[in-house]
Amino acid sequence: MYELKSVHKRYGLAKVALRKIDLTVRDREFLVIYGPAGAGKSTLLNILAGITKPTSGDVLRNGVSILRVPPEKRDAAMAFENYALYSHLSVGENLAFPLKARGIGRAEVEERVKRISGILGIGHLLDRRPGFLSGGQRQRVALGRAIIRPADIYLLDEPVGHLDAKLRHKIRAELKALAEDLSATVVFTTTSSREALALGDRVAVLNAGKLEQLGKPADLYHRPANAFVASFVGDPPMSFISVQPRRHDGRVDFVTADGMPVASLAAEAVSDLNEEVGSKIQVGFRSNEVRIAQESDSNALRGRVDVIENLGYMKIALVGIGNDQVSVSVPAGTSLGVGETVAIAFPRDAVHLFQNARAVTHATPSAGV
Amino acid sequence: MLQRESSFPKEALRYGLIVIVLGFIVFPIAWMIITSFKPADAIMVSPPRFLFTPTLDNYVHAIYDKNFLFYIKNTLFISVASTIIVVITGSLAAYSFARYNVGDGHILFFILSTKMFPAIAVILPYFLIFREVGRTGAGKFLGIGLDQPGALIISYTVFNLPFAIWLLVSFFQDIPRELEHSARLDGLSRLKVLAKVVCPLAAPGIAVTGVFTLIFSWNEFLFAYILTRKAASTVTVGVESFFTLQGILWGPVAAAATISVLPMLVFVLAMQRYMVRGLTFGAVRG
Repeated sequence: MYELKSVHKRYGLAKVALRKIDLTVRDREFLVIYGPAGAGKSTLLNILAGITKPTSGDVLRNGVSILRVPPEKRDAAMAFENYALYSHLSVGENLAFPLKARGIGRAEVEERVKRISGILGIGHLLDRRPGFLSGGQRQRVALGRAIIRPADIYLLDEPVGHLDAKLRHKIRAELKALAEDLSATVVFTTTSSREALALGDRVAVLNAGKLEQLGKPADLYHRPANAFVASFVGDPPMSFISVQPRRHDGRVDFVTADGMPVASLAAEAVSDLNEEVGSKIQVGFRSNEVRIAQESDSNALRGRVDVIENLGYMKIALVGIGNDQVSVSVPAGTSLGVGETVAIAFPRDAVHLFQNARAVTHATPSAGV
Repeated sequence: MLQRESSFPKEALRYGLIVIVLGFIVFPIAWMIITSFKPADAIMVSPPRFLFTPTLDNYVHAIYDKNFLFYIKNTLFISVASTIIVVITGSLAAYSFARYNVGDGHILFFILSTKMFPAIAVILPYFLIFREVGRTGAGKFLGIGLDQPGALIISYTVFNLPFAIWLLVSFFQDIPRELEHSARLDGLSRLKVLAKVVCPLAAPGIAVTGVFTLIFSWNEFLFAYILTRKAASTVTVGVESFFTLQGILWGPVAAAATISVLPMLVFVLAMQRYMVRGLTFGAVRG
């Protein structure tokens, strides 16, 4: 088990890479660090690897600080985002490098190189130098070099980010299976929401050096802690509509600036909502929680279709409502044109409510409304 | 594929330029080699004679009468020793400049700035220093004194090191840090990373530096002329000794010069295969 205790990392005087991160990596879990570029994901891995020292805070392994343990004694295997291949060695020698450095016998080295290169589909490239490989092939070599040896923890820094879609899908599945086979502890960084949700036992969402939320994929998707996580996890991301609360009869209605009702919740469900004047209140929806309504539906909001994204099995319509934009999932067969005016029906009580970007409630639908 | 159109005037110009350039580079060398095989009466005649009976007299004179191989041996020892010191200390210094940014670039510039004054400016102090050091016990024991190889080894090292460091820094900077990090995680200690990853990748730079340093030491004249008399004299000083009161022995000079070019030629050809750019190509995404 690895623990980051209030780990802070500053580069120079001004650039803060990580802000007081508290994070536990459990044994044999697949932990995904998910965040936009520049969020501090690589710094976090480098700190776990011992390459980078935190400015303050502590890193523990099974309760013992490892800050003073050099990388070569940490038993961590890492795949670097920019590959970091030994360009003076062939692919086979690159894969064998961590094994030979640990004095593993020739026969076993050969056998493992063969197996890993087979899994990653680079068996035919063993004699080539990295300079003669494509980006995707190099990335597979980098990944292979990391997973070829048993390690206490595997740190994979965007290891499939530069593969083409088909290969990414395949390697992702292989990785997940491999991690389960080896009962390995894996920390995996990614900028893809789909990857984070598909692979992680738990997902840590990192933004600008801050840990926004740590939890199971379903929690992140259904109960995001704040507007950032909501807008970053899931594809398409959650949409928001700015609203104002109107209290009456033990309920709170949320209406748009035009006075159109969007949601209505029981007052106790929004007890966390404070009365601060001028605070920004938003109602959030997943694209599958809203639908195109009949024109006659008086409670529906009118909007204009800005963009239609055809995913094949369904379409995502981006509908502009006032200053906001809402993604709506519609069946693939629906005929819908850009510029068309449509009515959008909201679930009223199955909404995510945010005040000043912080989640207030994730109301679950109640029967009979 | 587009084939470049080549007209006759263009081609003529191209070859004309090649001939001129080669004339400057190859002709003096060819003339030296031709002269070294000429009998004495065919050397300084006008118009120059291209047909003559080749003779090895000049080589015999240079090697046996003037004992020229003694100078070759001296030079080999001094320049190889100096080059080894320069390459090793230069690599270590350049690595730390490249990785740890020692001195924030100021020290690096200061080091290069020591190359800005001419050698002649320091030759008198050097002469006095080595004379005094040579008289001490330690100086005698280490062979650091006038007319001793140590004095030249030290002088050449001091004069070549700044340039070597400057040259090597950029090669070390080219090696991505992640490669070292990766090697550490793969289980190598800091020193082993240097030996197994950094040095092999910097090999072209190290080879280039070695070649430059060796050529400089081999061809150096001023220090060798001032700091040695006989026992530690190098080839350039040796050739100079052919300029006698009776006249310049052009034939043996040409023979000696030809002999002294050969080791360098062999060395540079041998090093050529290491002097390739782009060894770090493909290491990182770029």
